[in-house]
Amino acid sequence: MASLFKDLTKLSAYRDRRFPGNQEEFEQALHTSTTVYIGNMSFYTTEEQVYELFSRAGEIKKITMGLDKNSKTPCGFCFVLYYSREDTEDAMKFISGTILDDRPIRVDFDWGFQEGRQWGRGRSGGQVRDEYRTDYDPGRGGYGKLVQQELEAQRQLVDYGTGSLGSFPPVMPPPHYGRRGGHNQGGSHPQSRDYHHRKRHREDDRPPRESSKRTLDHESRRNFDPNSRPEKNPRFRESANSDDEEEDGGKQRP
Amino acid sequence: MSSWRSLLLRIGDKCPDYGTSSDFKEHIETCFGVIRRELEHSSDDILPFLLQCAEQLPHKIPLYGTLVGLLNLENEDFVKQMVETTQANFQDALDFGNCDMIRILMRFLTVMMCSKVLQPSSLVVVFETLLSSASTTLDEEKGNPSWQARGDFYVSCILSCLPWGGSELVEQVPEEIECVMVGIEAYLSIRRHNSDTGLSFFEDDDESGSGVVEKDFLEDLWGRIQVLSSNGWKVDSVPRPHLSFEAQLVAGKSHEFGPINAPEQPEPLSEVSGVLYGKQKHNAELKYPQRIRRLNIFPASKTEDMQPIDRFIVEEYLLDVLLFLNGCRKECASFMVGLPVPFRYDYLMAETIFSQLLLLPLPPFKPIYYTLVIMDLCKALPGAFPGVVAGAVRALFEKIADLDMECQTRLILWFSHHLSNFQFIWPWEEWAFVLDLPKWAPQRVFVQEVLEREVRLSYWDKVKQSIENAPALEELLPPKGSPNFIYSIEDGRERTEQHALSAELNNKVKGRQTAREIISWVEESVFPNHGWDVVLKVVVHTLLDIGSKSFTHLITVLERYGQVFARICPDHDKQVMLIAEVGSYWKNNAQMTAVAIDRMMGYRLISNLAIVRWVFSPANVEQFHTSDRPWEVLRNAIGKTYNRISDLRNEISSLKKSVVSAEAAAAKAKAELDAAESKLSLVDGEPVLGDNPVKLKRLKANAEKAKEEEVSVHESLEAKEALLARALDENEALFLSLYKNFSNVLMERLPDPSRARTLRELKSIQADEMTVDLDESSVMEVDNESRRPNKSQSNGGKDSNIYNVGEKEQWCLSTLGYVKAFARQYASEIWAHIEKLDADVLTENVHPLFKKAVYSGLSRPVNDVSSG
Repeated sequence: MASLFKDLTKLSAYRDRRFPGNQEEFEQALHTSTTVYIGNMSFYTTEEQVYELFSRAGEIKKITMGLDKNSKTPCGFCFVLYYSREDTEDAMKFISGTILDDRPIRVDFDWGFQEGRQWGRGRSGGQVRDEYRTDYDPGRGGYGKLVQQELEAQRQLVDYGTGSLGSFPPVMPPPHYGRRGGHNQGGSHPQSRDYHHRKRHREDDRPPRESSKRTLDHESRRNFDPNSRPEKNPRFRESANSDDEEEDGGKQRP
Repeated sequence: MSSWRSLLLRIGDKCPDYGTSSDFKEHIETCFGVIRRELEHSSDDILPFLLQCAEQLPHKIPLYGTLVGLLNLENEDFVKQMVETTQANFQDALDFGNCDMIRILMRFLTVMMCSKVLQPSSLVVVFETLLSSASTTLDEEKGNPSWQARGDFYVSCILSCLPWGGSELVEQVPEEIECVMVGIEAYLSIRRHNSDTGLSFFEDDDESGSGVVEKDFLEDLWGRIQVLSSNGWKVDSVPRPHLSFEAQLVAGKSHEFGPINAPEQPEPLSEVSGVLYGKQKHNAELKYPQRIRRLNIFPASKTEDMQPIDRFIVEEYLLDVLLFLNGCRKECASFMVGLPVPFRYDYLMAETIFSQLLLLPLPPFKPIYYTLVIMDLCKALPGAFPGVVAGAVRALFEKIADLDMECQTRLILWFSHHLSNFQFIWPWEEWAFVLDLPKWAPQRVFVQEVLEREVRLSYWDKVKQSIENAPALEELLPPKGSPNFIYSIEDGRERTEQHALSAELNNKVKGRQTAREIISWVEESVFPNHGWDVVLKVVVHTLLDIGSKSFTHLITVLERYGQVFARICPDHDKQVMLIAEVGSYWKNNAQMTAVAIDRMMGYRLISNLAIVRWVFSPANVEQFHTSDRPWEVLRNAIGKTYNRISDLRNEISSLKKSVVSAEAAAAKAKAELDAAESKLSLVDGEPVLGDNPVKLKRLKANAEKAKEEEVSVHESLEAKEALLARALDENEALFLSLYKNFSNVLMERLPDPSRARTLRELKSIQADEMTVDLDESSVMEVDNESRRPNKSQSNGGKDSNIYNVGEKEQWCLSTLGYVKAFARQYASEIWAHIEKLDADVLTENVHPLFKKAVYSGLSRPVNDVSSG
C-alpha cells in the first residue's frame, strides 16, 4: 500500500479498552492479527452473506457474529478470521466502506477474537452505539434503545396499545437514506421490507412461538439444535453473561 | 505533516496547499521557494521524501524533475547526492528484477536530463547497456532466448522514456539516439513474436485462421513511438514544465551518472525448445510480466480520439495510480480522474480497469480491488462513469461466448458485487431475451450466475424484486436455498425406519454424546442392521441438518462430529459418495454445497482427489456448460491445496532464515566459550587455563542452549520440508487426476479430430449440420486468408442474439475453456510435474484440442513435441 498518504504504523483509530495489554502490545496485535472487525451491519445480515463478500478477499477460517447479550440475536457487528495476513489487509483495504445488505459497512483490523467479545457491550444488550442513537435505522432495530424506551413511556401514557416499538416506523422518513453516486434511488424502501420473509427459507418455516417474529427468527438461527431452547447454543455455552462489567468498549469506532 | 512535505506531495494537484492556482509553473515556483529554504536543515528528510514522491506518483515526475533542476542551481551537492541515490536504487532494481522501479526510475532519469541535471549521453549509456543486455539474451550461445521476456522488458523501458525526453535527446544527441533506435529495430527483427494466445481475453483471437498477426505489446509500442517520432515528438499527455524554466536550468551543472550493470545473463540452454526451454520461459515471463493487455471492447466511435502514444501514456498513468494508491481510496479515485492530460479519457479509463480486472493469468491485485475502484469512480464521476461502465458490461456481454472462462467467472463476481453496491439496479429487460436461448448459451448462463451471486450477497426476494422489469427472468433465479432434508418430519410425511434413526441420532447430538459414542452406536446398531448406504444417508443428512443454520453451525458440527464422517468414509470411493450426499442435502443451495465440501476438505474428512472424482461424476459432468456449481467446488479444492503448499513454502523460507541466525548464534556462543576456555587467568597468583569458573559455566550453558536451538530449528525445518515433499507428491497426483479426467470426458464428447481442428470449427459444427451442402464453403471461408472471419460468434452486429452452437459443442467449448483456465492459473505448479503429465496424460492419443488447451494455458508452443 502506498505509504505517502497513510501512516502505515497506525492501523486503527479505535482502541479496545478491554485489550489486556498496553498500547504497544495492542498495536503489535493489530499488525499481526488475521481478524477483522466489521461494523455498521444490518441486524438481518447472515453469516452466509458475510462469507460470500469477505471470501473475495481470501480464504475464511471463521466468522463470529456479534450478538445482543440479552436476546442472543445479531446486533450489527461481526468478526471474520482469515488464514493469511495479506488477505486480512485486503479485506480492510477493499471492503471497508462498501455496501453489504444495503449498508455501508466498516472494516477494521481487530486484535483477535476472544470468547466473550461476541456480546454487545451496551446496557441493553446490543452495541453501545445503538443505545444512544436518535435516528431511525430500520436495519438496526429502529430507534436507539434509549429513544425507544422514551417512546414506549410516552406511548403508554397515551395508550396506543401494544406492539414492538423497535420496528415502529417513524413519522418522517429517515432523512438521508440515499447514497451519493451515479445511480438514483430505487428498489424497495427499507420500511416496506417484509422482514420475516426476507431471509432464506430454511430459517423461516418454523411456527411462531413468541410475539416478536424477528426475534424468533434469529433465536432459531442462532440455535444449534432446532428443537432445544435458545440457551442451549453450544457455541456460547461457557460464557453466557460473563461479560457485563463495563460498557464503554464500543464508544463508537471512527 | 509539515508544509514542505505537503507541497511536495500535492504539487500539480488542485488543492488548498496551492491556493487557487492550477498552473504547473506556479506550483513549481511555490514548492521550490519553500524547499530551498528548508534544504539547509532538512535536506536529509527532503531527499528520500522527494524520491519517494517521484517513485510513487510517477505521473508527476516531470514536475519533480523540474524541481530537482531548480534545486540544482541552489545546491549542487544535494542534487549530486540525489543522482547518486537514484543510481544506487536503479542498480538494485535491476539486480532484483523490480520491474516497476526500473521503469519509473528510467523516467525520472529522463526528466532529470530534461532539467539539465544529467547529460543526455549518460542516459544514452543506460539505454545502450540495457539494449545490449537484451540483444545478448536472444543470442543462443551467449544468452538464453527463453528469457526474451527480460529483453523485451528492457527495450520497452527504453521506448517508454521517449515520450518524456525524446525531443531533447533528438535535439542534443541525434546520432547517439539514432544509434539506439537502430539497435532496437535490430532487436525487434531477431526476437520471437510473442504469441501467448493462452493469455488473450477472447478465445478466437488465437485462431482467426487469417494470416494477419496481431502486434504483440513491444511491436505495438514501437509502432506508437514511430508515429510520435514522425510527429516531431509532440505529446499532449506529458507535461513539460521544464520548458518554462529553460533559461534558468541551462546554468545548472550536470552530474555524473555512475555506470550501470545489467544483471548477468541466464545460463545458455542446449536447445531452444523442449521442456527446459518451456519452464525457463515460464519463469522469465513470471518475473517480467506484461503489464497490460488491451481489451478493445468499445467501438472506435465511442473511445476518445487521441494520438497512439497518448493512449499508452494514459494507460501507464492509470496503472501506476492503481499500483501505488491501493488502500487509499480517496487519493486513488481523485488521481484517476485528474490526470495531467488535456483530453477526456473516461472510456480509456474504464477499458484499462477492466483489462486489469480480467488480466490473465492474474491481475496485480485481487479482483475485489478493481471492483472498489470502479465503484469509487462511479461516485466520483456520477454523470459520466456509470454509463461507461454499463457500456463495458454490454460490450462484454455481447462477446461473452468468446470470453475466456476465467474472465467470465471474474466478470460474474465483479458484476454481482458492483450491482449489490448500487441497489441492484440494472435494465434487465435488455437481457430478458436470454430465456429464448438454450440453457447452455453463455449469455444465459452469465445472467443466471450473476443472479445466483446477487442472491448470495443479498437475499432471494430482494433480487427477485430487482428484476421486476423482466419478471420472466425469475426462471433463472436459483432455488430458494433451503436444505433438502430427507428425514424432515414437519410436513407429516410417512416416517420410515431411517426417519427413526435420524431422530435417534439427532437426540444423541442434543444429548451431547461424543463422536466416539456416536461411532459405536453406528457400528454396533445401525451398520449391522441397515448396511453402509443407510448409515451414510442418515449420518450425513442428520448432521448436516443440525449444522444447517449457519456457517458457524456447520463448523461446530464438523469439529465435534467430523470423526464420525472420517470413520464411515475412510477411502476415496466412500468419500466420493459422502460428497454426493452433501450435494444432495444442499442441492438447492450452491453456496452451502461449496462451503460444506470446502470445510470437510479443511478438516481432512475428504481428500482433494475425492473431490475431483465427484466433480467428474456423470451428474456433474452434465452441468459443465450450464452451471458454475461443479467448477466452484473444483476451484476451491485446488485453491485450498495450493494455499497449503504456499503456506508450507512460506514457513520453510522463514525457518531457513531462522536456521541461519540460529547457526550464527550457536557459532558465536561456541566461539566465546572457546575463547574463554583458552584464556589464561590468574588464580591465586598462578596462571591457569580458562576464564573464571562462574563465567565459564555461564558461557557453557549459553553455548549448549544455542546449540540446542540450532538443532531444534533444523529439526522443524526438516519436518516442514518432509511435509512439503509429501504435499508436492499429492499435488502431482491431483493434477494428473484432474487432467486425466478432463481428457477422458472430452475424448468421449469431442468430435473426431478431423472434423474439429480448431474451436472455430467446433463451434460451427451444428450450423454446418443444418446446412450440410454449405459445409465445404464454410470451412473454406475460415481458411480464407484474405478475410478475417467474424470476430465473434454472437457479435454479428444487429443479429447479435443468434446463437446456434449445439449443446454438445458448447459443452466441449466450456470444458476446454476450463482446461485452459486451470492450466494457466496453476502453470507454475504444473510445470514442476510436466514430465509426468506428458508421460501419463498428454500422450499421442489425446485429442488435439485438449492438448492445445493445456499447452495454451501453460504458454507452451504446441508444435513443441516433447519426447520426455
